[in-house]
Amino acid sequence: MPETGETFVRNWRANARRLAQKGLYDPAHEHQSCGVGLVAAIDGRARREVVDAGIKALQRLWHRGAVDADGKTGDGAGIHVQVPQDFFKAHIRRTGHEPSRGSLAVGMVFLPKTDLGAQEKCRSIVETEILRFGYTIYGWRQVPVNVEIIGEKANVTRPEIEQIMIANNLGVGGDQFQTHLYIIRRRIEQQVLAKNISEFYICSLSCRTIVYKGMFLAEQLSAFYPDLLDERFVSNFALYHQRYSTNTFPTWRLAQPFRMLAHNGEINTLAGNVNWTASHEPRMASEVLGEYIDDVRPIIQPGSSDSEALDAMFELLVRCGRPAPAAEALLIPESINQNTTMPEAHKALFTYCTNVMEPWDGPAAICATDGRWAIAGLDRNGLRPLRYTITNNDLLIVGSETGMVEVPEAEVVEKGRVGPGGMIAIDLLEGRFYHDKEIKDLIAGRQPYGEWVKNITRPDSFIKNKAKSSPPLTAEQLRRRQTAFGLTMEDLELILHPMVEMGVETTGSMGDDTPLAVLSDNYRGLHHFFRQAFSQVTNPPIDSLRERRVMTLRTRLGNLGNILVEEASQCNLLLLESPVLSNAEFEAMRNHMGETACEIDCTFDPSSDSQPLRSALDRICREAEDAVRGGVTHLFLTDMAMCKERATIPMILATGAVHGHLVRQSLRTFTSLNIRSAECFDVHYFAVLIGAGATTVNANLAEESIADRHRRGLFGKMTLKDCLDNYKTAIDKGLLKIMSKMGIGVISSYRGGCNFEAVGLSRALVAEFFPGMATRISGIGLSGMESKVIEMHAKAYAEEATPLPVGGFYRFRSGGEAHGHQGRLIHILQNAVNTESYTIYKRYSEGISDLPPIYLRDLLDFKSANPPVSADEMESITAIRKRLVSPAISLGALSPEAHETLSIAMNRIGAKSASGEGGEDPARYKRRANGDNASSAIKQVASGRFGVTAEYLNNCHEIEIKMAQGAKPGEGGQLPGRKVTELIAALRMSTPGVTLISPPPHHDIYSIEDLAQLIYDLKQINPDASVCVKLVARAGVGTIAAGVAKAKADVILISGHDGGTGASPQSSIKYAGLPWEMGLSEVHQVLTLNRLRHNVKLRVDGGLKTGRDIVIAAMLGAEEFGIGTTSLIAMGCIMVRQCHSNTCPVGICTQNPDLREKFTGTPEKVVNLFTFLAEEASEILASLGVTSFDEIIGRTDLLMQVSRGAAHLDDLDLNPLLVKSDPGPFPARCTLEGRNEVPDTLDARMIDDAKHLLDAGEKMQLTYSVRNTHRAVGARVSSLITRRYGMKGLDPDHFTIRLRGSAGQSLGAFAVQGMTLEVHGDANDYVGKGLSGGIIVLRPPLPSALESYKNVIIGNTVLYGATAGKLFAAGQAGDRFCVRNSGAQAVVEGCGSNGCEYMTNGVAVILGPVGANFAAGMTGGMAFVHDPENVFPLKVNPDSVIHLRIETQYWEDVVKVLIGQHVRRTHSRFAYRLLNDWELERDSFWQVVPMEMLDKLEHPVTREDKENWRAAGE
Amino acid sequence: MGAALCWRRRHPRFESLSMAQKMQQYVDVERGMPEKRAAPERRQDFNEVYRRFEDRQAVEQSSRCEQCGIPFCQVHCPLQNNIPDWLQLAAEGRLEEAYQTSQATNTFPEICGRICPHDRLCEGSCVLEQSRHDTVTIGAVESYITDTAWDKGWVQPPRPARERDASVGIIGGGPAGLAAADQLRRQGYQVDVYDRHDRMGGLLIYGIPNFKLDKALVERRTKLLADGGVRYHLEFEIGRDATLGDLRNKHDAVLIASGVYKARGIAIPGVGLGGINQAMAYLIASNRKGLGERVAAFDDGTLNAAGKNVVVIGGGDTAMDCARTALRQGAKSVKCLYRRDRANMPGSKTEVANAEEEGIEFVWLSAPAAFLGEETVSAIRVQRIHLGVADASGRQMPQVIGDSGFTIETDMVIKALGFEAEDVPRLFGEAGLGKTSWGTIAIDAASKMTNLDGVFAAGDIIRGASLVVMAIRDGRQAAQGIDRYLGAKAGQSLAMAS
Repeated sequence: MPETGETFVRNWRANARRLAQKGLYDPAHEHQSCGVGLVAAIDGRARREVVDAGIKALQRLWHRGAVDADGKTGDGAGIHVQVPQDFFKAHIRRTGHEPSRGSLAVGMVFLPKTDLGAQEKCRSIVETEILRFGYTIYGWRQVPVNVEIIGEKANVTRPEIEQIMIANNLGVGGDQFQTHLYIIRRRIEQQVLAKNISEFYICSLSCRTIVYKGMFLAEQLSAFYPDLLDERFVSNFALYHQRYSTNTFPTWRLAQPFRMLAHNGEINTLAGNVNWTASHEPRMASEVLGEYIDDVRPIIQPGSSDSEALDAMFELLVRCGRPAPAAEALLIPESINQNTTMPEAHKALFTYCTNVMEPWDGPAAICATDGRWAIAGLDRNGLRPLRYTITNNDLLIVGSETGMVEVPEAEVVEKGRVGPGGMIAIDLLEGRFYHDKEIKDLIAGRQPYGEWVKNITRPDSFIKNKAKSSPPLTAEQLRRRQTAFGLTMEDLELILHPMVEMGVETTGSMGDDTPLAVLSDNYRGLHHFFRQAFSQVTNPPIDSLRERRVMTLRTRLGNLGNILVEEASQCNLLLLESPVLSNAEFEAMRNHMGETACEIDCTFDPSSDSQPLRSALDRICREAEDAVRGGVTHLFLTDMAMCKERATIPMILATGAVHGHLVRQSLRTFTSLNIRSAECFDVHYFAVLIGAGATTVNANLAEESIADRHRRGLFGKMTLKDCLDNYKTAIDKGLLKIMSKMGIGVISSYRGGCNFEAVGLSRALVAEFFPGMATRISGIGLSGMESKVIEMHAKAYAEEATPLPVGGFYRFRSGGEAHGHQGRLIHILQNAVNTESYTIYKRYSEGISDLPPIYLRDLLDFKSANPPVSADEMESITAIRKRLVSPAISLGALSPEAHETLSIAMNRIGAKSASGEGGEDPARYKRRANGDNASSAIKQVASGRFGVTAEYLNNCHEIEIKMAQGAKPGEGGQLPGRKVTELIAALRMSTPGVTLISPPPHHDIYSIEDLAQLIYDLKQINPDASVCVKLVARAGVGTIAAGVAKAKADVILISGHDGGTGASPQSSIKYAGLPWEMGLSEVHQVLTLNRLRHNVKLRVDGGLKTGRDIVIAAMLGAEEFGIGTTSLIAMGCIMVRQCHSNTCPVGICTQNPDLREKFTGTPEKVVNLFTFLAEEASEILASLGVTSFDEIIGRTDLLMQVSRGAAHLDDLDLNPLLVKSDPGPFPARCTLEGRNEVPDTLDARMIDDAKHLLDAGEKMQLTYSVRNTHRAVGARVSSLITRRYGMKGLDPDHFTIRLRGSAGQSLGAFAVQGMTLEVHGDANDYVGKGLSGGIIVLRPPLPSALESYKNVIIGNTVLYGATAGKLFAAGQAGDRFCVRNSGAQAVVEGCGSNGCEYMTNGVAVILGPVGANFAAGMTGGMAFVHDPENVFPLKVNPDSVIHLRIETQYWEDVVKVLIGQHVRRTHSRFAYRLLNDWELERDSFWQVVPMEMLDKLEHPVTREDKENWRAAGE
Repeated sequence: MGAALCWRRRHPRFESLSMAQKMQQYVDVERGMPEKRAAPERRQDFNEVYRRFEDRQAVEQSSRCEQCGIPFCQVHCPLQNNIPDWLQLAAEGRLEEAYQTSQATNTFPEICGRICPHDRLCEGSCVLEQSRHDTVTIGAVESYITDTAWDKGWVQPPRPARERDASVGIIGGGPAGLAAADQLRRQGYQVDVYDRHDRMGGLLIYGIPNFKLDKALVERRTKLLADGGVRYHLEFEIGRDATLGDLRNKHDAVLIASGVYKARGIAIPGVGLGGINQAMAYLIASNRKGLGERVAAFDDGTLNAAGKNVVVIGGGDTAMDCARTALRQGAKSVKCLYRRDRANMPGSKTEVANAEEEGIEFVWLSAPAAFLGEETVSAIRVQRIHLGVADASGRQMPQVIGDSGFTIETDMVIKALGFEAEDVPRLFGEAGLGKTSWGTIAIDAASKMTNLDGVFAAGDIIRGASLVVMAIRDGRQAAQGIDRYLGAKAGQSLAMAS
């Protein structure tokens, strides 16, 4: 029986509460994303037309939201408009009253619906607070709603929706009335909160604007609220929003817009922003609010979503006197470094802004209004689309997509887009539109920011000059200190040395197989318990290397002021370029600060009293507080006093304690917190210190260790200064990388945000020192830590000096950490698979279970009351084997031999292998002579899109989207040139020997609705394959998975942090991500909670080694299991861990032909392994009395915790993993047959119409009109063409489709040769995604009067991963044009930022201006940019390319031919003029050439090179 | 824009690419051994077969190491030496650190570097060997490092931070005893070593021929310990000069590391004939000769192979040592008789190859059936052997092939058939000392102590005849056991005193 809405809501709530308390679900991790937009009358005149357009636009946004299974319950939508005074006054008159003159105010209120007592209480609170302020009330109005059209679930949670109308009987001015209403609303909210009423919510309370929102589909807005259809509903703006949330629970208040803004995206820095806002609160003061400031605190309500929090802050700033555009500039400032052409005044403005407050880093597209201003803006990264159209009747239409409001082309006067950090605004009062530069000029002129920022002191120079090192430690002191912190030779040689020598962090390979810190017997520094957080799906990571310019480590020190005012004194700060300080710099800074600084000793006498660590922490907090209250503005926490008698407080703990204490005492913003730590050594430790609140960090002992090695001559000719500089560079880069994983670009917003999850720290300890950080299984507490510290201290200062141990954390060493892959066991396993001996395999398996605990699952065991069943009752081994997968390892990491062996083996047993990133040789799609099939059943689509063609995607049963990788979640990858062989280059459509970069994010997935779009595209290009999304375990992965399931994924793969890698930074292998046990269990719980579990299959991978691991994974919720490293071992891998150096001696992970010859793997060995695993799993099932896998999926009741870990732990509680979520009427496992289908697009009609082509290969031309809701046009047809004729089977232009209008996202995705798409109109994002040979043409429609090169015609991320084909667009493109293009040729008339990023092949001709950071990470292909203004040199990122004017005839001809084609196909007058005036224009072109290509080009690009090469050739 | 090419030379990324990688050079560098003296030259004398690595060679060979995630060399080293670490240090020219790292886990690295069967331990397990790239030359580098350390004066006698009163008596000055002595002395214990021979070193000094291990190396080691305060008692036989009980009274702990010296016999006709000798007697005589002493049994020709047709029986390292010694003494011919084949022999493959080079003839799959001759042996009757199917332990059992006999002429036979433990409890006058069924002394695996309080045992006497490296390991582990034992005892007496 299906579940009724009511039972669903009741069960969901109960379930969610239980899971949040006992399980792994945390509502704080819920995400939402969406589409957003604004329609406004530039002249400021309120009109019906505006509201109509807003409503219509929402109807065109449905695909950016998600729909519940009932087809009616949406994730929320809403609209924000002016209060139609006439409408409400008429209503008042109808009730028999005469409204007073002037504006009345209206409150849109959600009241509790079923609890009438609470409802009445709320009404009374509302009324009381209004009256208390002296205003009178006209009365309540029950808002008419049509409940028929909303879903049952939405209806059950529907609040009572009423409006309260308030008279301005005090006769105050509009602004003041508005301020009072703000205070009243905050008071009401506080009161209701105090009464513990949860269903109450005020959407808006204003005399100017009103919000209508709810849990319906976007197109149902006006049907649900008939008010909106009333002709009197007029407005000069309409701000609208369609939401996509990561759960299925309809929560009305979370629909947007909020009080001022609507937000599309995510705030990556939320944790830091929320903490800092609380810290700023004590200092907030405003003339406008005066004493009422107390009423509005706390600014951010606990439990707010990121958008709500941002809205609250925005509202406060506006209410305190900042115009909306200025508030936006402060909260979401543009990056100064990115925009190289930024005017000085703007620089001063943004320098001021970033010094006053920590930026709220996106991805964010926001539309906001304060009643007077309507603005639309993007954050510094610009990762959300924002397109706008201006019409000749003074309408501005802005939104996530173009074409949301249909405007006759003849009426259009401008089509544009908002760029990264950009903003457009309308002053509704003055009736004026401001472009980006204009509005910033206006804001920058509000105050003398240029003068103010001169007050900022930049101590970098003087502390460098004055820097003088204190005398070094003696050899003995050095060794004793190193010993005290558990340092080993390995740390010094493998981690420290490369940082100093090369200025970069060390790279390692294969996954982490050492015990979690909490399970280890050895001393593990506190930082080992912190796992780095990272972005996936709901927000993108940043590329800290190629997009360095949007990031900054600038660190301000000192007394932070009142953020609500603007004054010169706010710039009385010190500003460092980086928080990483050398010993000498640290001391120089300390001396410079003199009296304003206070040093606090962070050591303690280990023998003093019963709880010496606790007393020491109390002491330093007290000392810090006293100092700050005494006027000190800089605190220095140091552990320099360490000696035989004094042990150190772990500095992470000291930092967390002091930072937290000062925050609680409202003192944190009065001081900087500078840490000198001996234990701080690698980049992760720095990150944890800063995350815990440190302002600057000095790694004292690391520096001493470097100096010692320098004295010993280990750094060759390098000076000590070079060494220290390199170390600092490495740490800086590492910090940027760690921040970028979270998508955070600015360190001030990272600081104090504790963007980590603890694994193995006690709940009490975390609650006290790192509040807000997740620690779900508890672990070591203060007393355990104390005993470990004292033990190490005693060892370090023991009479007999012990030399440093060799280590064993990164690579196995006797006496070091245990490793899950153990030498002898590897040999036993290899022996077993070579001899097909299950008996020997069992010895391996027993050996694994005899190892000390390494993984969480080692603390679990099975329990069952059932009697064992006999083997012949069991599900067949063949059936079990089908659940096994050999997970994605790219060809590039693996040698072709190893890669094929895996595929063949998996195909033989009817299981699946995943291709990994990097394409596959089409020869493998053909069955071998002996019957073997070498084609991977799962084809991966990763961020690099290498080799992802229509053909590739049509030769598989499943397509896997890799969102993150266990060993380096949130990071991209790089295949160094030396590994790019002929074969690899051919598969990846690049040049042998040239480096290939995989970006950290998918550039078509910055948000959950983007992922839904990619899934949609893939389901179009392959109409049969299911789609898998690979995620990495982290806190909150459950809610992400729920979002992914709603995006119509069929399989979700959860990877553990211990997943393998061919090359990753060591700190990422060791400290990012979570064990899969936690991630899988959380995902299973949350999917079940949201009734999504039965429609999606769960797969898990990461260090699975035995049948036991598989059964545990099944009980924690997985249906399928990936075995990566162990399958490599079966092929002969012996864990050399040198995959990254191309020297794999067994020929598995190398492209070196000599080494590949040593490969001894065979499909038989792999088959044996998978058979053994299945047999063992089957045996375990039988022993539990279970006959099939289906019966144990999610059966955590068959598991129990059998060990609580070591004695010194507070607790180690795996019960949160074992909590079961109530599945309601659905099974708690996947019952999906086939795949989750997606709605049809235009292709469905095209296929009908193209019968002649598809059946008989006839040449055809079809014509349609197109809308933005028609997505991935052409993909489905391309699939059919590929399957029938092959990817290159038709001649170009064989099948032409002409479209009129605004095409939806992914126009021409994966279009193949023969297909030509001609659009008369414009298109949205992702045009030509993965283009595989087709031709796409875009031109303004005929009546248009626009000059093509001045207007935007296509959106962001065009030709992403294109492999062949052409694109001609008569107009400008958005950001990331031609990103990762590896073969397409394109001509556009201008593009946004990050053009040609990561491009590896193909040609891009850009006939107009380009945005910032052009050609970042471009390693192949060629670009030409028309730049008569000569500003291009400021825009290009010179790290990997050179630029020169066109010097050789060959390349000149290439450009001319392409422009000629462009003219012919688009009729661009502009391009035609360029050709016509070629002699004059030729020298205005830049040619952009990747450096690595210079010596590989067939046709030289410079005259000189031509000479040189000729000479060299002779 | 001619900058295109020059630019590349300036750009840091290209520079860093060209920077030489220090390790993992096996891809380009082939395996190399230190120079081996030519067979005709080396059979003329008793000097070592291998010369020392040249500096450049040592660096180059060390740099071949792959720096594995799992160093199988260490996994299969009885001492768990941190081989990849000192290879890296050696490759970087950081020899003093390499020496410190190497000696931290091994008492006699230069000795192990020479005589360990590397092909069965570290080098045989080396990942590069497993994957058919030829092993890193670990042993030779190991010797090179410590030889250099000796030259540079880095090798220093034990200098304890503080002296302890407790004293330890060690029976046997072989590798196990000396390894224990070294470790205990470093902790500050008073150490006395008793040995029945007139030199310290045990097997190292008398058992192993000079061409494999130069006796000067052993003597400088024993001297080093003496310099560090270890007291030696030479020609001191327990059971004759004192009982075990006496030693227990005198010392706070006693370690038995006396080795196994009872030669295994062979029960076939003619075994009593003259000219049939025990391997150990033969080797000791030769080594003593080499050390410049007068040895009657050698001087009268009994144990001198010069001019004789020698047959050595056995397939172990001792057999090969005897054979190669005989060759150097000037034997007319030397044959080595072994009942299994080359693949199944226990001795080191490298040594077999060296021996063959020098002219030893191996007679595989052959077992003596009878010694023929009047008073002295003149020939051996030999039977052919067939190897059967492997048993559970994986070893193929030899089976005699009927009617396959043939005869080998000889005038000197050396029996090298292995050694067994003597009856130590009886010998030492301590009947209560527990034994295993093999006759070796039984110890507790964790504490390393025998059933007698304060009496420990290490080396061949607990495991039967084995490798020097095993003896070193046992000695070091026993030293740890003794230290724990004495520490606990000191704690107790402290507690009682207070």
